Amino acid sequence: MTGKLVSRRRFLKQAGATTALLGLSEAMIPELARALQGLASGKPPVIWIQGQSCTGCSVSFLNANYPSVTELVLDKLSVRFHPNVMGGTGDAATGAIEATVKEKKGQYVLVVEGPIPTKEPDFCTFGLEKATKPFNGYQRRKDKPIYEWMKELVPDAAAVIANGNCASFGGIPMANASVTGATPVSKIVAEIDSKKPVINVGGCPSHPDWFIGTVLEALLFLGGKKSALNLDDNLRSKTFFGKLIHENCERRASFDAGLFLEDWNSQNPDMNLCMFKMGCKGPVTYADCPTRRWNSAVNWCVGANAPCHGCAEPTFYENLAPLYEPLPDVHFAGISPAVDTLGWVAAAGTAVGIGGHYVYKQLGKKPESESEGGEK
Amino acid sequence: MAQLISIDPVTRIEGHLRIDVEVEGGVVKDAWSSGTMFRGIEMLLKGKHPWDAQQVTERICGVCPLVHGTAASYNLDDATGVQLPDNARIIRNLCLGANFIQSHILHFYHLAALDYVDVTAVTKYEGKDPALLLLKDKITKLAGAGDVYPFLPRYDSDDYVSDPELATTLVSHYVQALEMRKKAQEMIAVFYGRMPSFVGTVPGGVTTPPTLSKITAFQARLQQLQQWIDEIYIQDILTVAGVQAYAPFLKAGDSGGNYLAYGGFDQNQSGTEKFFPRGIIYNNEIMNVKPVDKGKISESVKHSWYTEECEGLNPKQGRTDPELEKEGAYSFLKAPRYDGKPMEVGPLARQLIKKPTILVDLATKLGLLNPPVKFGILPRHAARAIEAKLVADEMSKWLDQLVPGGKIWDKKDIPGEAYGAGLVEGPRGALGHWIQIKGKKIGNYQAVVPTTWNASPRDKSDVRGPIETSLIGIPVPDVENPINVVRDVRSFDPCLACAIHIIHPEHNGVKSFRVI
Repeated sequence: MTGKLVSRRRFLKQAGATTALLGLSEAMIPELARALQGLASGKPPVIWIQGQSCTGCSVSFLNANYPSVTELVLDKLSVRFHPNVMGGTGDAATGAIEATVKEKKGQYVLVVEGPIPTKEPDFCTFGLEKATKPFNGYQRRKDKPIYEWMKELVPDAAAVIANGNCASFGGIPMANASVTGATPVSKIVAEIDSKKPVINVGGCPSHPDWFIGTVLEALLFLGGKKSALNLDDNLRSKTFFGKLIHENCERRASFDAGLFLEDWNSQNPDMNLCMFKMGCKGPVTYADCPTRRWNSAVNWCVGANAPCHGCAEPTFYENLAPLYEPLPDVHFAGISPAVDTLGWVAAAGTAVGIGGHYVYKQLGKKPESESEGGEK
Repeated sequence: MAQLISIDPVTRIEGHLRIDVEVEGGVVKDAWSSGTMFRGIEMLLKGKHPWDAQQVTERICGVCPLVHGTAASYNLDDATGVQLPDNARIIRNLCLGANFIQSHILHFYHLAALDYVDVTAVTKYEGKDPALLLLKDKITKLAGAGDVYPFLPRYDSDDYVSDPELATTLVSHYVQALEMRKKAQEMIAVFYGRMPSFVGTVPGGVTTPPTLSKITAFQARLQQLQQWIDEIYIQDILTVAGVQAYAPFLKAGDSGGNYLAYGGFDQNQSGTEKFFPRGIIYNNEIMNVKPVDKGKISESVKHSWYTEECEGLNPKQGRTDPELEKEGAYSFLKAPRYDGKPMEVGPLARQLIKKPTILVDLATKLGLLNPPVKFGILPRHAARAIEAKLVADEMSKWLDQLVPGGKIWDKKDIPGEAYGAGLVEGPRGALGHWIQIKGKKIGNYQAVVPTTWNASPRDKSDVRGPIETSLIGIPVPDVENPINVVRDVRSFDPCLACAIHIIHPEHNGVKSFRVI
């Protein structure tokens, strides 16, 4: 974490550690070293704004280990605006955005946390317009909607990163979209500038490694290394969202053996029972949680004897509820769907069956009988 | 001549808050607090499986997920008649305690400290401490490149702590604090899987049994935090409180002297004994703590965007019919009142009600108990640090009470029809969740959160909310740089994502919205 000039060898080492810890490709080390070196001198400006967010992805970002938050925020990036971190308040804060747009046209990365409301722009505002309206005998400046900020910031951004599930896919606020019109960032950006690159980082919240790793990949991509960024159909980096949780779960053997947790009292801590019957969404969720784990790799959801809720999926929350009931529609060719019989079902067949359910959910289709509120 | 200053965004808090102050003769004469973001989280819970409430409500706020998830669990326990096993009660207390520690450290160092410490003074450090020299090197480089983001720009003020030695030490603690709060989150992850958005509580108990390895993993981090709180956090609070320029902030920023705590950290299964007691204080009469009668809580909406029919109801019958064209309304927040009075909630309220020796000694030393008795900006920060210490010290005792192999869950079926309530204390104050179960699904869900009490707008008698009142008389020598206004607002640790709730109890939908 020194600020002194650092040798190329040291940078290679540092880049190696970063690639290893973030799970990026080893082949990327030289490029990453170059990128990190570039970052140390001409730090890319970042403007991080919050829509209908809960700040959870910012709090998760603070849990970053390598590179550390201090290193990222002070040495690697030039964080011009972040509502929870920055020194400035009010006009002093928003002034930093305006200055960055002017000075760093086309160079800044726009990070958006939380979706954008479209039913009423005033469902989410920050900063003030110049225009005023009467208030207790004064002229009071109007609130500035986040949608207006998007219109100002998107055209001159190098890229837009939607951080977290609700910025990427609408998440929990979109389950109430009929009221607020909560809309994923990528859709808003497409309206403003259809050519602007948008990268999604899933997760409710996003894992700090997913976010930081995606930012690094995006910077390499913007620097001309096109192969650095390999996105899936949901615009997520395959580095982090390319593997099914179920296939990498430390409790997969229990699933295959039909050993399911059904009572939180009855467990032998060493048995690592499968959480499927408690509603685990691991079979339909693409993320590297089982190997990466959370909070300095201390634990993860299944490690706490709790089901994966599928929070990294575009279908979270509305289409994965109820969270504590086993996945429906799990069919096994020619075999009773009863979970109790799963023990002797071939694992491959299971994955195919569950994969079908996944595709079905991804299409966003719901049975006719299911009402808007999820009542059956 | 009086003028209106509008401050938005109030940064270094959670969420979207706007503050307007009327300034005349260099002091605040009047103030308005407005919440400016709406999602309608509870609406989407209607018709859902009651167990989902815990996972959904913890997403109300990424800063306080632990508190919402805990309140939701107690709420469901109440509705389904759970007899919470001791292990589960203790693990919930331990994780809630770890969250108090991480939240209070985060608040003082990362949200509040930049209002007091001049980061640029680090460039003038002349000492020999290698760690501080590294920091100096780093900041000097940033300053040399003209890029001291995100610390600058900021409000100008001549009373920042600018002594190079002291400022550098405090900034180095800012960096250390990032690691410390991370450790506290790791403690929660030991039992609850991860933070934010944890998975380890369920209605009826918790999911992780207290094995010796889990207890040890938790304890090792706790010991480091205990030491850091004692040696760094508490000492820094005393240092800042001792800065001559800040002496007025000991009493400036008093919210009106009414305090409410639901009490938290149940010490027995029935919850009748709590580590932080339940109570009410009126008019800063801190020796006269009164019992809480939940029936005396009502919500006023005269200045909120809700219809007159919602006026004066208890949250149990709460109605929240929005009316956004309403004259005189200026916030999405309602105005909760106890016995018709605004109440400050949070660490200061809890500790004035508990009155631990460490607090009383400090208050005496700082002259806070001399008339007129008032508790302002700095006592709020001090109460937070004291609370972090009290909780951390107590947690090591709770760890000893865990019984490996013992029960952690009381399984109960979801009843067809039931009501429940879950009242807890979060880092920011009194939090209540209410549920109505109908046809084994969620019929209605309500949350009354700390920031709704603190940042509430005026009520039916036009009495200001606690933050609004606390701003009256705050000095604003330079209207371009109203630093003291935000010092005061931040001392409440506002959390706006939590505070804004709109739900219609019958059709569960919003009628119409006013464009402001």
